[in-house]
Amino acid sequence: MQQPQVQQRIVNVVSRVLEVDPKTVELESNFASDLGAESIQSVELVAAFEEEFGIEMDEEAALSVDTVGGATDYISQICREQGVEA
Amino acid sequence: MTTIAKPHLLVNAAEPNLLEDTFDYSLPPLIKFENHPITEIIDGVPVEFDPSTVKSRDIVITDTTFRDGQQARPPYTVDQMVRIYDLLSKLGGPQGVVRQTEFFLYTKNDRETLDRCRALGHQYPECTGWIRAVKGDFRLVKEAGLQETGMLTSSSDYHIFQKLKFKNRQECMDSYCEVVDAAFEAGIRPRCHLEDLTRADIDGFVLPFVDRLMEMSRQVPQEQSVKIRLCDTMGFGISYPGAELPRSIPKLVYKLNRECGVPSDRLEWHGHNDFHKVHVNGATAWLYGCDAVNTTLFGFGERTGNPPLEGSIFEFIALKGEMCGIDTTAIRELAEYMRSIGLPIPDNYPFVGKAFNTTRAGIHAGGLRQDERIYNIMDTSSLLGSPPRVSLTDKSGADGVAVWVNEFFGLTGDQRISKIKIHKVARWVMDQYEKNGRLTAISDEEVEIKVKELMPDLWQKYKGNGS
Repeated sequence: MQQPQVQQRIVNVVSRVLEVDPKTVELESNFASDLGAESIQSVELVAAFEEEFGIEMDEEAALSVDTVGGATDYISQICREQGVEA
Repeated sequence: MTTIAKPHLLVNAAEPNLLEDTFDYSLPPLIKFENHPITEIIDGVPVEFDPSTVKSRDIVITDTTFRDGQQARPPYTVDQMVRIYDLLSKLGGPQGVVRQTEFFLYTKNDRETLDRCRALGHQYPECTGWIRAVKGDFRLVKEAGLQETGMLTSSSDYHIFQKLKFKNRQECMDSYCEVVDAAFEAGIRPRCHLEDLTRADIDGFVLPFVDRLMEMSRQVPQEQSVKIRLCDTMGFGISYPGAELPRSIPKLVYKLNRECGVPSDRLEWHGHNDFHKVHVNGATAWLYGCDAVNTTLFGFGERTGNPPLEGSIFEFIALKGEMCGIDTTAIRELAEYMRSIGLPIPDNYPFVGKAFNTTRAGIHAGGLRQDERIYNIMDTSSLLGSPPRVSLTDKSGADGVAVWVNEFFGLTGDQRISKIKIHKVARWVMDQYEKNGRLTAISDEEVEIKVKELMPDLWQKYKGNGS
C-alpha cells in the first residue's frame, strides 16, 4: 500500500478516536496541541493503529510520535518490518 | 553563622549513580556514619560518642506488647498472646534480636499465658515479669520461675511527691532499695523502671539513686545485677544534640552509662509517642550507648503508644547492615493476625498499612513500571511479602492500570504487558470520573471484574476458568 493510503487510514482512525472532523487532520497536526489528545487518548490511538493495521508497536516508540505525518512514516516502517501489507 | 561560598561543579555522567552501597534494594536503606565521632557538650566538657559502635555492640529490641501494649486495648486472650509470642520469636530469629518480652503476673490468665509461651520452647524472646514495687510481689515472680522482672521506681517529683506521697526523696529512695533488696533475696534480677525520667531531677535524685543501685549490685552475682529502664513516660525525650537535661537522651544515657557506670547491656530505653518522636528517640538511645530499645507491635501502647517494634526491626537492620537472622516476613503475618483480632492499623501505617506502598498518581505508576525502585522504599515483595501497588483513581492514568494488571496477574520481566493493551480498562476508569462523576477510589474487586470483561484473552491465559 502506498503512503497516501496509509495516511488516509490514519486520518480515519484519528478522526474516530479523537472525535474530530477528518478535514481538520493534516500531516503537520500535533495529536496533543492541535487535535486535543489527552494522555489516555494517546494510548487509545496507538491501540487503534495496531488494530487497524494488524501490527504490534513498541509502546515507548509509538507514544513518542506526536504528529500525523510522523505516525504515517512510523507505521509504514513497522508494516514493512513486520511483513504486513499496509 | 558565617556563610562560606563554595562552588559546586556538575559531575556529568552518562550512567546513573544509584548509590547502591546505601540503597541496596534487598535491605532497608542502610544508615551509615562518617568516620568521626559525634561530640556533645556535657557539663561544659566535650564528650565523644561513636555511633558506628552499634555494628559491633549487642543492641537488641525488647517487647512490651503484653504489658504496655495491653494498657491501650481490651485484654488479649491467652490463645492470642501465645500466637503473638510465637510470631515474635519467628521475627526476631535465632540470634534473639527480639530479646525479651514482659508479662503481667497477677491473674490466672497471666500465668497460663506465660506457661504456654514458655512451653513453645523458643529461646527468644526471653520471658520476664512486670510487678509493682512491692516486696510481696516477688513471690509471684519466684513462683513463675522467672529470672528477671521489671518494677516501678518512679523518678520525677511529679511521681515521688504528687502520686506516691513520699515525705521526701530519701524516704522514696530507701523504699525502692528495700524492694531491690527483696529481689536479690529472692534470687531475681530487678529491672528498675525509672518512670518519668525525662522530667526528673537528674542530679538531685536519679544519679544518686542509680549510684546506690550500682553499689548494691556489687554485692550480688553479675547475672542478678540491676538493669535500668529509662522511661520516657510522657514522651518528653529529645534526640537533638545540645538539648538540656532532663529531656536530652544523649545526656541521660551518658550520665547513667559513663558517670554511674551502668553497662550498656543493662540499659534499656522505653519511650512514648506523645510528640511524634518515639521511634527516633529509641534509635538515639541505641546510638548513644543504651543497648536495648523497648517496643510494642505496631506501636500500640498507653495513650499515643511506644516505639513500634517493626520500625525498630528495620532500624536495626539499617544500622547493622545485615539481617542478623531476622525474618521480616513475620511482620506481615503479625499485622494480618492483629487485624483479625480487631486491632486497627491505619491504611497509611508504615510497612503494613494497606496503602503503605500503594501509589495513586499516574506519574508515580509510570515510574514504578519502568523500575519499581523509583517509588518503592525497598524490596517489599521479599522483605514483607507486599509488592508495590497502585490504587486506581482519575489520577492513575494508563500507567496505573498497567501496574495494577501486571501485579494482579503476577507478570514480571518480558511477560509484562504494555499500557497499550490495557487501554479499554483505562478508559473505563477515566469514564467513572469524567462521565459518572465518581469521587471515590476504585476497589480491586471492581477492577478485577472489568479486566475479566474487557480483557478476556488475558484472563483466560492466566486465570483460566477460575475467578
